[in-house]
Amino acid sequence: MKQNKRVDCFACGKQQLSKDELGLNLKMIGREIKQFYCLECFAEYLDVTVDELLAKIEEFKEQGCELF
Amino acid sequence: MIYADNAATTKISDSVLEKMLPFLGEQYGNASSQYSLGIKAKCAVEKARQQVAVAIGAEPPEIVFTSGGSESNSWVLSSVSNGHVITSSIEHHSVLDACHSLERKGIDVTYLPVDSKGRVPLDSIKEAIRSDTKLVSIMLANNEIGTIQPIAEIREYLQGRSILFHTDAVQAVGHIPVIVKDLGVDFLTASSHKFNGAKGTGILYKRNGVSLPPMIFGGKQERGARAGTENVAGIVAAGYAIRESVSDMTAMADKLSAFFRATIYGIRAKIPNIVINGDQNNRLPGIINIAFDGVTGDSLMNLLDLKGICVSTSSACTSGKDEPSHVLIALGLTEQQAKSAIRISYGRYNTVNEVETIVDTICNAYNKILAAKL
Repeated sequence: MKQNKRVDCFACGKQQLSKDELGLNLKMIGREIKQFYCLECFAEYLDVTVDELLAKIEEFKEQGCELF
Repeated sequence: MIYADNAATTKISDSVLEKMLPFLGEQYGNASSQYSLGIKAKCAVEKARQQVAVAIGAEPPEIVFTSGGSESNSWVLSSVSNGHVITSSIEHHSVLDACHSLERKGIDVTYLPVDSKGRVPLDSIKEAIRSDTKLVSIMLANNEIGTIQPIAEIREYLQGRSILFHTDAVQAVGHIPVIVKDLGVDFLTASSHKFNGAKGTGILYKRNGVSLPPMIFGGKQERGARAGTENVAGIVAAGYAIRESVSDMTAMADKLSAFFRATIYGIRAKIPNIVINGDQNNRLPGIINIAFDGVTGDSLMNLLDLKGICVSTSSACTSGKDEPSHVLIALGLTEQQAKSAIRISYGRYNTVNEVETIVDTICNAYNKILAAKL
């Protein structure tokens, strides 16, 4: 998936998900993901907190993951 | 947090930590020093050497302490200066990379295939042996799938030939009975942090009478075999940790085998199409490698991590491009299948409740991932 293409949240319709949000969806679900979630909806879907997802994003960045 | 990645490393035992701490504090002497503080450190190192030797059926002078399993493996492999080396295609990278280094120096290396369970076919050893074969290096138990290799049988094929035999037993020592004389090996590698010791201490068994030139120069430590100030605290930990692991090995193996069965049964009840990689019979009790249909191991691992559960995948994805496990590919899995696998490795401190939580969390995570792909 090209990250410069506009992607909205599948659940709430939030427009133009950020690179971090898209990267997190790809990282947690896989490259074949069809529906993307914003941070808030993804946290609800996975039953975790937004802060936990933000911490995870930072970890992936520190690992050097190019999805972020 | 639930830690289920004991093949990567283990939590140091409380009693072992207690034994090593004085050597990080007041007992900080250099084991080469000739005054009391140093002599006490030297005595502690020699006691650990005795403990390790007893645990694997060796003589104390046959034990050399190193910085870890990778150093021990590299040392043995790098000692080959000509001829031919035989190894397997599913070795740890510390062996494989050392073999690649040998190839760059013009030494031939044969990488034996494995069957679908990860076992090296005995016939393939026989066929690979050449008149100039100098070393055979086959791991005792695989770190990703837990399959145990027929080391003693391989030794029989080498009988009567002047071929040295090394086994990387990093995953096996402390978990299954490992007696060097029964295995018939010339060299054996072990690593303390894999059996609830401390990181930074490796073990190399070198059979009495076998020559192995030093890889590290600069002192007469380890009877001149390996220079460098001894990691006294780590070595002390290795001695007590191996003693502790061997003392309750049977009970621990029974416990981990029960966890293995409960995990597979529990997951299969909700996700019938999982595939268990490796040998179901000749295997380490604590390692489970499971391939899932339709998801990547990386995704599963990340979701489990969010829930506070530590497991691993065989592939390392740090830059958006992940490579499949060379071990799983060698078993005959496709790239996609190999990337769908996770490794759960139970250890001394896991509990039945943790196993149940792991099973439930894996099944939930799997369903979440699949649903998001629809």
